[in-house]
Amino acid sequence: MLDYTNVITKEKSYSGLQMKEIKPVMKLIIRGKKREFLSAIGKSLNLLLPTEPNTSSRSEKLSALWLSPDEWIIYSNEISNPDTNNYETENLLNKKISNIGLGAVTDVSDQFVLINMKGDKIFDLFETGSPFNFNIFRDKKGAVTQTILARIDVIIHNQNQNEVNLFVRRSFSQHLFSWMNDSASRL
Amino acid sequence: MTKNLRVKTSKYIDETYKISFKFNGTTYYGYKGDTLASALLANNIHLVGRSFKYHRPRGIMTAGSEEPNAIVQLHKNSSRTEPNVRATEIEIYEGLEASSQNCWPSVNFDIGGINNFLSPILPAGFYYKTFMWPASFWEKYEYFIRKSAGLGKSPTEPDPDIYEHKYVHCDVLVIGAGISGIIAAKTSAKSGFKTLLVDEKPYLGGSTIYQNSEHFKINNQISSSWLDKEINEIKKIKNLEVKTRTSVSAFHGYNFLLARENLTDHLPLNQRNNKIRHRLLKIRSKKVINATGSLERPLIFDNNDRPGILLSSAIEKYANLYGVACGEKNVLFTNNDSAYETVISLNQKGINVEAIIDNREEIDSKLIKEAENNNIKIYKGYTVVNTSGYKRVNQVSIMQLSKDGQKVIGTKKSIDCDCLGISGGWTPAVHLFTQSGGKLKFRDEDQVFIPNIYPSDQISIGSCNGEFTLDEILTTTPKTLKEFLNLKKTDYEDLEIQSSFNKSKRNIWLLPSDKIIGKTKPFVDYQNDATAKDIKLALREGFRSIEHVKRYTTTGMGTDQGKLGNMHALGIISETAGTKMGESGTTTFRPPYTPLTFGTIVGRNVGEYFDTFRKTPIHEWHVENKAEFENVGQWKRAWYYPKDGENMHDAVQRESKAARDSAGILDASTLGKIDIQGTDASEFLNRVYTNAWSKLAVGKCRYGLMLNEDGMVYDDGVTTRLGENHYIMTTTTGGAATVLGKLEDYLQTEWPELDVYLTSVTDHYATVSVCGPNSKKIVSQVIPDLDFSDGSFPHMSFKNTKIGKIKCRVMRISFTGEHSYEINIQANYGKSVWEKCMEVGKEFNITPYGTETMHLLRAEKGFIIVGQDTDATMTPIDLQMDWIVSKKKYDFIGKRSLYRSDTIKEDRKQLVGLLTEDPKEVLEEGAQIVADIKSPIEMLGHVTSSYYSPNLKKSIALGVVRGGKNMMGQKLIIPMENKKINVIVADPVFLDKENKRLNA
Amino acid sequence: MFVINCPYCGEREQSEFKAGGEAHIVRPKQPTELSDDEWAEYLFMRKNIKGIQFERWVHAHGCRKWFNLVRDTSNDVIKAVYKMGEKPPTK
Repeated sequence: MLDYTNVITKEKSYSGLQMKEIKPVMKLIIRGKKREFLSAIGKSLNLLLPTEPNTSSRSEKLSALWLSPDEWIIYSNEISNPDTNNYETENLLNKKISNIGLGAVTDVSDQFVLINMKGDKIFDLFETGSPFNFNIFRDKKGAVTQTILARIDVIIHNQNQNEVNLFVRRSFSQHLFSWMNDSASRL
Repeated sequence: MTKNLRVKTSKYIDETYKISFKFNGTTYYGYKGDTLASALLANNIHLVGRSFKYHRPRGIMTAGSEEPNAIVQLHKNSSRTEPNVRATEIEIYEGLEASSQNCWPSVNFDIGGINNFLSPILPAGFYYKTFMWPASFWEKYEYFIRKSAGLGKSPTEPDPDIYEHKYVHCDVLVIGAGISGIIAAKTSAKSGFKTLLVDEKPYLGGSTIYQNSEHFKINNQISSSWLDKEINEIKKIKNLEVKTRTSVSAFHGYNFLLARENLTDHLPLNQRNNKIRHRLLKIRSKKVINATGSLERPLIFDNNDRPGILLSSAIEKYANLYGVACGEKNVLFTNNDSAYETVISLNQKGINVEAIIDNREEIDSKLIKEAENNNIKIYKGYTVVNTSGYKRVNQVSIMQLSKDGQKVIGTKKSIDCDCLGISGGWTPAVHLFTQSGGKLKFRDEDQVFIPNIYPSDQISIGSCNGEFTLDEILTTTPKTLKEFLNLKKTDYEDLEIQSSFNKSKRNIWLLPSDKIIGKTKPFVDYQNDATAKDIKLALREGFRSIEHVKRYTTTGMGTDQGKLGNMHALGIISETAGTKMGESGTTTFRPPYTPLTFGTIVGRNVGEYFDTFRKTPIHEWHVENKAEFENVGQWKRAWYYPKDGENMHDAVQRESKAARDSAGILDASTLGKIDIQGTDASEFLNRVYTNAWSKLAVGKCRYGLMLNEDGMVYDDGVTTRLGENHYIMTTTTGGAATVLGKLEDYLQTEWPELDVYLTSVTDHYATVSVCGPNSKKIVSQVIPDLDFSDGSFPHMSFKNTKIGKIKCRVMRISFTGEHSYEINIQANYGKSVWEKCMEVGKEFNITPYGTETMHLLRAEKGFIIVGQDTDATMTPIDLQMDWIVSKKKYDFIGKRSLYRSDTIKEDRKQLVGLLTEDPKEVLEEGAQIVADIKSPIEMLGHVTSSYYSPNLKKSIALGVVRGGKNMMGQKLIIPMENKKINVIVADPVFLDKENKRLNA
Repeated sequence: MFVINCPYCGEREQSEFKAGGEAHIVRPKQPTELSDDEWAEYLFMRKNIKGIQFERWVHAHGCRKWFNLVRDTSNDVIKAVYKMGEKPPTK
C-alpha cells in the first residue's frame, strides 16, 4: 500500500483568515468544442457546464468552473478516499467523451492543490499580489477567475461570502502558501 | 545661538507632546506635528547642508516635497540609515537622528567649500571638458570625482524593514487633498464612485487648511473653517478611502499609477518592528482627478541661495501651520500678491516684517493696502540685487528696476534681515499629468504651463490647472467635476466666495543686477548648483535643445528633479536664444515624482520570495537525504547526494558508477508532461516533430525532436502513445511552459481544424526513473503484478498498471543508455513509490543520483541536452541527427528551413565528441576550440559538455566545431589561460553504440 | 501597463498576457514549394510601424487563448480586439 503525501499539512489561522488544503479531491480538465460534447457532459453528470466566462456551475457532487471557451475544470465537492485514484466520474467521462472522440478528459487531481480560504481578509491578501480587480468578484457567488498571485498562476472560485477555493499547481503550492502566510501575518 | 522661535500656538502642533531629536549630534526639542524642518527653524537653525558642487552653505528653502537644499541623512551608521531625506517632509519622532550631507568634516566647516572660490574654473560642463583627455587618465580622475560626488551615504547593512505592494482598483482617484481635491473626492464618492483620495502630507486640506485670513471666505466663513467641516464630512463617506502620507510617484498610461504609502517613517524606531514601512500602491483607476496643486517659484538674483532665504509661502506655512517664525527680521521679495498673504499671516502672529520689495511698480489690492496700513515699508518697482551673510543671510541689497525690467537704476540700498522670503508666482504641478502623456500649453499672461490635451480619462482641477485664486477654484471646479463625472449637480453650486487676491504679476526670469553676469551667482537649480550663468554659457557654446542644456548644466537633475527652477531655466533659455517661451516645450518629467526607496520598489520580493521556486513530490526525501540542490528554471532539483564528506566530483563519480554497475534512481518529475487527446493527435505530432508518428503502435514510446520554424532545435523528449487518440508528450524541464504555449499557438492560429486538446499534467505526476542492470529486479518487486519480460515489455514501450489500488504508468525508456524504467504516478503517491524502490533496491545498492550524474551518464551515451549542447543555431543535421528527420513527411515545423542556403552550408558548427590526449584532463565547458594557434586566431567552436567518465575511465566531452562532421580523428586544440590541451575529434557516442545495455 | 480586453475573459491587466508579434501572417500551406526568398519573407520579415499595428496576443495567465489586437504604437491606445479567424476591423 502506498502512502499519500500531500503538500500543505498545516491549517493556518489569522484574524480574518483561515487557510487549509482540501484533499484528496478529484479534479478533471475536460475540453471540447462540439455541441454534442456539452450535452453528453450534461447528461452524464447531471451538470450543465457553464458557458458564460468567469462563472461556475454546481451539482450535488461536482463543481464545474469555466476556464476557457473549450476548457473546464470539474472537481468533487466532497473529499475522496486516498487509498485509490480510480474515479467513477473520470471513468464515466472517458466512456462518454474521450473514448468516442467528443473531447478530452484528463485527470489533474494532483496537478492542482486546492486551498480553501475563509474570512473577511481574503481579498486584502489577494490585493498584495494579484493584479485582478476583485471589486465585483468578491460579492459574486460562483464567480471564477484565472489570474496571477505572487507571480504564480492561480484559479480562484468564489464559494460564498468570505469563502473561496484557490487552485495552484502542486509544484508551486508550497511557495505560494508560504507567501500567503507571510502576507496574512500582517493583514 | 539657540533661540526659541515658536510663536502663537498652532492647532496642528501638540505642544503638550515634546519630542527630542538630534541634529548633527546636538539634542533639540520639537513638538508632535513638527517636521524636522519646522523643529529646526523653531530652534533658529537654518544651515542644514552644503550644496553639491560648490559646497555652499544651504538652508531650508521650502516646506514641502519640492525642497532642494534641506536633505539630510537619517540614523547614520545604522541599518535604518537613509540618505537624501527631505527635512521638510520627515516628521520628527522621539530619537530621530539627522545629520547634514555632502560636507566634511562638518556642515559649519566644510573643506569642500573651497569649490565655491574655485567656481570660476568649475563652469557648466567642467567635468565633460576636463576629464575627457587624455582618455587613459580617466581611471585616475575617477577616484577623486567619485569621492566627492554623490549625495549622502547608502546603507551598508541589510534593510530591517518590511515593504509591500498592493493592487488597488477604483473608479476615481483624486491626487491631492487641497481644497479642490477635497471637493472632488466628496463629490465623486457621494455620487456612488468608489473613490480613493491620496495626499503626500500627514494632514488634509492643502494650503487652505492653515489660511486664517479674513480676506478669504466661503459662505461667510474663513476658508480654513469651511474646509475643516468638509473634511469632517468626507471621513464619513463609505465608498471613499483616504490615504495620507501617500505620494503618487508615477502616472502611466491607461490610468495606471504608482503611489508610495508611508506607514512608519513618523514612528520612533522601536515601534517599527514587524510593521510594513512603505506600501507601493499599484493603482488602476477608471478616472483620475489631478489636484496636485502648485509650487511657488523662487526669484533668480545674485546669491539667492543663502540660508535664511525661503519661499514666501514656506514662511507663511511655518508660521500658520507649525507656529514657527523663520526669522525675527523678515524681508519679503515678490513679483505678485502672494507674499502679502505671508506678510499678513506674520503680522497676525506678531512676527516682525521689515520690508517688502515688490518688482511691480503700480500695484493695488486689498492685501497690499493692509500691509501698508500695518506700516510695512513697500519698495515698489525694486529688485534685490545681492544678499550677504555666509551661513545665514544678514542683509539684502536692493535697486530700482528700469521700466522694461532689463536694468537696475539709481543707488543701492541695504536692508538688514535674518530671513528673506521670495515669491516668483506659482507653477502648476503638472508633473504627473505630463508623465501620463498629457500635453501642456503655455499661458502667456502669467507665464505658466497648464494641461491641454489629456491622453486618458483624467482631468486637472485647482491650481495644478492654473487656477490660483479661491474664487477661480470654487467656481471652476464644480463645473469641471459635473462634466467629468457626468453629474447633474454638485454640493458646490451657490457658494458665496470672498477673495482678495489680485492676479497681477511682473515676471522676470533672471532679475537684472548691477554686476555683469559672470560675477554673479543667481542659482536656478539649487541642489545641482546650476546658475543662470551656466545656462547662458551652455547656449553660447551652441546648445539649443532644452534637453541638451539640462544635461550639460545638470539643471533639474537632482533628487528634487528641479521642481523649483525648471521654469526659470526655460525662461532664461528662451530669453537668451530669442525664442518664444512655450515653443521649445519643457523637459520631460519622469517618475518618480519624489524619490522612492529601493525597498518600496522591491516590496516583498526579497529573501525567500525573491524568486518563485517549484518542488517535486519527492523533494522532502532529497532534503532528508542531504542532497545538494540545483536551480533548473524555477525548479529545485537534486544535484548530487554527497556521502560522508564527499565533494561534488567524488559523489558524481560514485553515483555514475553505481548507475551502470547495478542500479541508480533519479527524480525526473520536473520533465514537462503534456496530455494530448483528439482524433487528429497523430497528425498533430507529425506536424510538430521532425519524425513520423502515424505508425507508432499504441503502447509504444518514441523520441522526438521539435524545431522552430527557422529549423533550429527547440525541444526534445519522449512521447508515448497511450491510446488510438491519446498521447503523453514529455518536454525538457525548462521548456515545458514554452513548448505548451507554442503548440497551443499552432493549434489555435494555424491549424484550428485539427481536433486536438493539450493539457499540462507536469505537476500531476511524480516520475521515478530507475536505471541500471538491476533495474528490472527492483521495479518488478515494486510492481509485482506486471509482466516485465522483454517480449511483453521491450525497450520504448509502456504499461498501464497499478501499485496496490493506485493507477500508474510505467515506461521502459532511458536517458542514460542503461536498461531503465520510469514510473509515472499521481504526485501525492510519488514519495511513497520512491521509498519503496529504495527499500527494495537496498540489496542492489540502489543509488540515488542527481542532475549532475544524469548529465554525465547521458554524455557517455552521446545524448544531447537541448539548451546545453544546442543553442538557437543548431539544426538536427548540425547535431548529426539526420536519422530523426523524416524525408517522407511533406511538412513539419521547421522543415523548409533545413534547406535554406544558410542551413545547408558544410562549414556550420556541428556536434562532435572530443577526447583529450591525456585521458585524465577534463575540459572546461565553454572553452574555445581552435585548429592552430596563430594570430589572428580562428575560433572553430566551443566545448558544450565535459566530464570525467568513471565508467570509461577517461575524460569525455561534446562540443560544436565548424565543419566538425568531417574532422573525425583530427587533432584540435583547446587554448587555456596557461596551457594548450590537445583533443581528438571523435564519435559523440562514447559508450555502447550497439545499445546492448538498453536491451539487456 | 495596458488594460487588455480579452475577447473571452474581459478586461484584465497586461501582466496576464503575452505579446506574439505581428498578426495576419499566415504560415504557407506548401512551404516546400517556396523559394528561399519567399520562405524568408514569411520567416523573418515583420513590420514595425509607428501608428496602427495589428498584433497577436495570448491571455497566457488566463484562458490561454490567442487573439488579435489593433494598437496605435504612437500612444499605445488599443483600438480593437478580435478573435482568431475573425476579419480585422476596417476602421
